[in-house]
Amino acid sequence: MELFEHLLFGTQTLFTPVNLAFCFIGVLMGTLVGVLPGLGPTAAIALLLPATFHTPPVASIIMLAGIYYGAMYGGSTTSILVNIPGEAASVITCLDGYQMALQGRAGPALGIAAFGSFIAGTISVVGLMLIAPPLAKFALAFGPPEYFSLMLMGVVVLIYLGSGSILKALMMAVFGLLVGTIGQDSISGTLRLTFGIRELYDGVGLIPAIMGLFGVSEVISNVEQAIKTEIISAKARNLMPNRQDWRDSFWPIIRGSVLGFFIGILPGPSSTISSFSSYALEKKVSGNPAKFGKGAIEGVAGPEAANNAATGGSFIPLLTLGIPANAVTALLLGAFMIHGVTPGPLLISKHPDLFWGTVMSMYLGNIMLLILNLPLIGLWVQVLRVPYPILFPLILLFCLVGVFSLNFSQAEVGLMIGFGAFGYAARKFQFELAPLVLALVIGPMIENYLRLSLIISRGSPWIFFRRPISAVFILITLTLLFSPFMPRIGRSRERFQ
Amino acid sequence: MKRVYQTAGLCFVGLSAFVVWESWTLEYYTNLGPGPGFFPLWLGVVMGALSLAWFVQVSGRKGGPDDVAILPERAGILRILSTLAALAAMAGLMNLFGFQLAMFLLLVFLLKVLGRQALWVTLVVALLGSVGVYHLFGAYLDVPLPAAAVKLLANLGL
Repeated sequence: MELFEHLLFGTQTLFTPVNLAFCFIGVLMGTLVGVLPGLGPTAAIALLLPATFHTPPVASIIMLAGIYYGAMYGGSTTSILVNIPGEAASVITCLDGYQMALQGRAGPALGIAAFGSFIAGTISVVGLMLIAPPLAKFALAFGPPEYFSLMLMGVVVLIYLGSGSILKALMMAVFGLLVGTIGQDSISGTLRLTFGIRELYDGVGLIPAIMGLFGVSEVISNVEQAIKTEIISAKARNLMPNRQDWRDSFWPIIRGSVLGFFIGILPGPSSTISSFSSYALEKKVSGNPAKFGKGAIEGVAGPEAANNAATGGSFIPLLTLGIPANAVTALLLGAFMIHGVTPGPLLISKHPDLFWGTVMSMYLGNIMLLILNLPLIGLWVQVLRVPYPILFPLILLFCLVGVFSLNFSQAEVGLMIGFGAFGYAARKFQFELAPLVLALVIGPMIENYLRLSLIISRGSPWIFFRRPISAVFILITLTLLFSPFMPRIGRSRERFQ
Repeated sequence: MKRVYQTAGLCFVGLSAFVVWESWTLEYYTNLGPGPGFFPLWLGVVMGALSLAWFVQVSGRKGGPDDVAILPERAGILRILSTLAALAAMAGLMNLFGFQLAMFLLLVFLLKVLGRQALWVTLVVALLGSVGVYHLFGAYLDVPLPAAAVKLLANLGL
């Protein structure tokens, strides 16, 4: 009954003209971003964050969340039609989706991807709605030591589940934490690492850093190669799957939804991991694994369901614990902070409109996406015709205007350019940027919780081990950190990747 | 290629050493608990250790399939540097020339010189991206982008 009242309240919050409009804009932008290769939800949210400054917090979060799960819908379109994944999470869809398109079955592939995404998205929102409130209550028992160790564990798990070198990912995470210390110390007021630059007294802005790392560096990476004018053409007809397609896809969708949802709760590139895991699972349980890679609809249905379900799951640690699980939710955390809202156990009780409004928007957003994706596929395909030489100046325009409009500061634009150059260099040396972003966002919180914990314990670090919940988190963190030296765990990581 | 990686590693080591040195001048511990120098000092130490480990790792590597050409080709370097320079120039000149003119020039450069687009495409996109965005932000989003500080340009409505 209480749940029903919350849902009713969420519906009332959502059904205002402003919130509905922002929900629509968010899912539309998300689909567009998902369709365009090279521009992911992280960059899109980074580019649109400044635009949310003048909008109410609920509308802003609804829109940004819509971009996140909308991108998962859009990513499958190019995977199926032209064998180019719009998102990392849609890479696996290329294997069977494109084969289906070559067999003249692009329509059913796109249709089942859309329907599967809708079902999975709905299941994951139900999961979020049911799990988040009791988890938030559990998290009320958390003190500074638990938060410190949980956040540290989150960063380390993200590093562990990444695809590259653990050493380099750790370097990026530590660098992100260091950047987070620049500016005025929140406890003593002392200036740290500012080099006398007045614009750094308030610290390094999140928006300039993220715009630089993702927007500008992405453009520079592409500009490095000769800028090619590539026009992609693709066709799709008859989008409705037939009865056999539904029979083949039903259980993959259900399995993918459940698998993706729980993987989404874990830190790391959950959408990508869930789609790959779902593909592997479907191949394993199939009566005819040889058909995978040759146009098996299960190879589209399962992964597409999984990557959508993962987005819902990833909201759970963000909303209930205030801890982002990946770069996208780290940006969403940044959005919350910009609007003066602190996600965590008290979010549901202090800002019920924000929580329940966002939950209901995800239901409605999934419906909107189903409607957008099926009839408008022809339009999305036309978007692919925009040549990159026209697209990249527009991306830089968004970055410049977005950063400048924050504080009208040329220094922040300069900072963005600097981070752009750094991000480009990091990509060349194959450093992952996700640990840096996560550490940058939660670094100040990690430091505060660490210092508070040591104040409570009068300087004794054993406080993190005396408290059971914190001890468990620390144990997991240390196990993962030293995993390269433990062959069995190291092999598990390789298998997982 | 090894030298490039080693140079990058040494840069990180140098950065770590600098952070440790700067943090040393701050208060490490106070009566109330860790001071402002505590966290950055330890981060600098950890960063230094990781950087040294990476330096040793890349120094000992003989080279293999993971080695990719780090340094771009000359044409690529020119495109990258000119993009960054154009961005920096735009940022520096925005307050002087005004957003509209500065952005127009930037977009023309990126579209025509780097992107080699047709003149009409360049002009349309550049106009929309400069004048259009200026009025959109000013009129509808209540974000006043800078007008020109130079009197002559300001009189022209820029």
